[in-house]
Amino acid sequence: MTDAIARTNERNQLFKDLFSGNTPKRVPISNPATQDFAIQYAGLDLAECQWDLTKLEPVYDKFCQDFYTDTYPGGSIRIPSHYQILGSTPIVMSSSGFMQHPDVVGMLAEEYDEFIASPYDCIVETILPRLYTEFNGPPGKVAMALAKAMKAQADDLASLGAIRAKMNAKYGFATMVGALTEAPFDFMSDFLRSFKGISGDVRRYPDKVAAACEAVLPLMIKKGTLPNPSMLGYTFVPLHMAPYLREKDFAALYWPTFKKMVETLAGMGQSVQLFVEQDWMRYIDYLYELPENTIMRFEYGDPKLIKEKLGKKHIISGLYPVTLLQTGTKQQCVDKAKELLDILAPGGRYWWQADKSIIHLDINGPVVENLRAVLDYVHENGTY
Amino acid sequence: MIDLQALTQAVGDLDEKTIITMIEDFVATNPSGEEAQKIVFACQQGMGIVGELFEKNEYYVGDLIFAGELLSKTIDLLKPVLNDVATEKVGSIVIGTVQGDLHDIGKNIFGSMAEAAGFDVYELGVDVSPSAFVEKVKEVKPQIVGMSGVLTLAIDSMKETVKAITEAGLRDSVKIIIGGNPVNEDACKQIGADAFTTNAAEGLKTCQGWVS
Amino acid sequence: MDTKYYTTWEEYLAEHPELEGKPEQAIAPKIVKYEDAMFTFIMDLLL
Repeated sequence: MTDAIARTNERNQLFKDLFSGNTPKRVPISNPATQDFAIQYAGLDLAECQWDLTKLEPVYDKFCQDFYTDTYPGGSIRIPSHYQILGSTPIVMSSSGFMQHPDVVGMLAEEYDEFIASPYDCIVETILPRLYTEFNGPPGKVAMALAKAMKAQADDLASLGAIRAKMNAKYGFATMVGALTEAPFDFMSDFLRSFKGISGDVRRYPDKVAAACEAVLPLMIKKGTLPNPSMLGYTFVPLHMAPYLREKDFAALYWPTFKKMVETLAGMGQSVQLFVEQDWMRYIDYLYELPENTIMRFEYGDPKLIKEKLGKKHIISGLYPVTLLQTGTKQQCVDKAKELLDILAPGGRYWWQADKSIIHLDINGPVVENLRAVLDYVHENGTY
Repeated sequence: MIDLQALTQAVGDLDEKTIITMIEDFVATNPSGEEAQKIVFACQQGMGIVGELFEKNEYYVGDLIFAGELLSKTIDLLKPVLNDVATEKVGSIVIGTVQGDLHDIGKNIFGSMAEAAGFDVYELGVDVSPSAFVEKVKEVKPQIVGMSGVLTLAIDSMKETVKAITEAGLRDSVKIIIGGNPVNEDACKQIGADAFTTNAAEGLKTCQGWVS
Repeated sequence: MDTKYYTTWEEYLAEHPELEGKPEQAIAPKIVKYEDAMFTFIMDLLL
């Protein structure tokens, strides 16, 4: 057995233990920097590399070599080619080469009934043509655009997969599979009704919002299902809207279908990782109700309170502030890592991740040095 | 005659039906511009209540967005009767989401609240380059520049923008406030801004303090 | 899922009598795989 395979086995064991509620040998670590960061770190052009993925192998090699991590540091990535081919408006590349999501409206308020009757029909017939220009026009042209886009994405994913396999073989990362889904209310908000639209809907037609969340729930569960629930990995669920709602709206409109979704996925035997974006502290008792061993990566919140309330039932992650890496000294950054380890590691159920992803690299800034120091510190001192 | 207190309260309650009915009834009486101005003032006071409820954690960001929408609907209804009244402005602000970032929800909330509070708001949109900020500041000579961003890279863009404003010799003529998810006191210092906020209502207060 | 854009294997088979007596164990996973791939692709456009 090569060293890399032995390291993969060891790391897989860390995550198997972690996800099943046992205390792993040490605290596992995921590098919060993304592919965008890696491209800048290699000194290459962001837009060019995202179009020509063959440039990425040396990018990842250097990235994996220089920053300690137990999981492959690829993250969830939006690749531009198929968005371009489909004429995307909800996902576009900014001037600096980052793929971003402007606030768009894919579904009008008067289309709730159509959506509730059949969400997937409404998505295909009404929503996609509004958000993606190439879904409009003669059927033959639409069919060809869709075929080109799917082929482009499949090729891109295969290229990234090949790089990932090489890096895993060389560096021995944990080999995990993933699926991506959203809470039904977030799905209705993000690309369909928009932040502004849903904020009005919550007051104008709460019954329709609730019915739409119920109607789309089976789709969100299907989207979040792993190829095989016994595989090592998790369904990743980034959470968006709850902190912007009043509790009574949250309790009536957000929580019921979200909870059902997580329970259903967990019931199939797979792990679920929530990215608990923004501040959820006023909902912490709701979170407690979620199934045992749900992974919760927090952006904000009081680590002590989180540990005390959730730390015996759930798996805690996140909370490390990446802005500190941009503004702090190396010592301050390491001290912060120690402080969080001291609070969150005892008793197990802790996975080191940061509060946000790091996508941008200011080459004159201290991030590279600070990030490396923190990753190394947690690797060497991450005992439970 | 319209009950101004009731209107203020309805705005505070975000009671859309009541507000729209009252304003439509009022416009139907063919009022003078001065009378219409009183209505605007009552609505602004209602927005003040919204801001207070937000600070007390009874309202959240979703409610602020809805409030902004209601207010612009109201102003649209009043426009025909408001036309020739000179409105007194409390100050002027140039706002934009900084280069590399396309997120505009927070900026829009702040913009509509600032407008409601009587500011002239010059809106530069998203992914705004440092030079575009500088050009606009030269053109409209605002008292305040507001920079917004959600991504961590926004911090670096904000720093570049402040640098550009300083190099253009304009730094002493404006106050600069930064807003958005990644900002905090350390970032504010490093960027060289005068204030930071993650809360539109609080940011507005800071700006009101600067121009009063 | 109540939709005209996603077909389960049973529905597909009912619509395609020409597949009667053909090796279902080889055909079904293939048909279902692309049904699911399209579903995932479409949903990813909205995530």
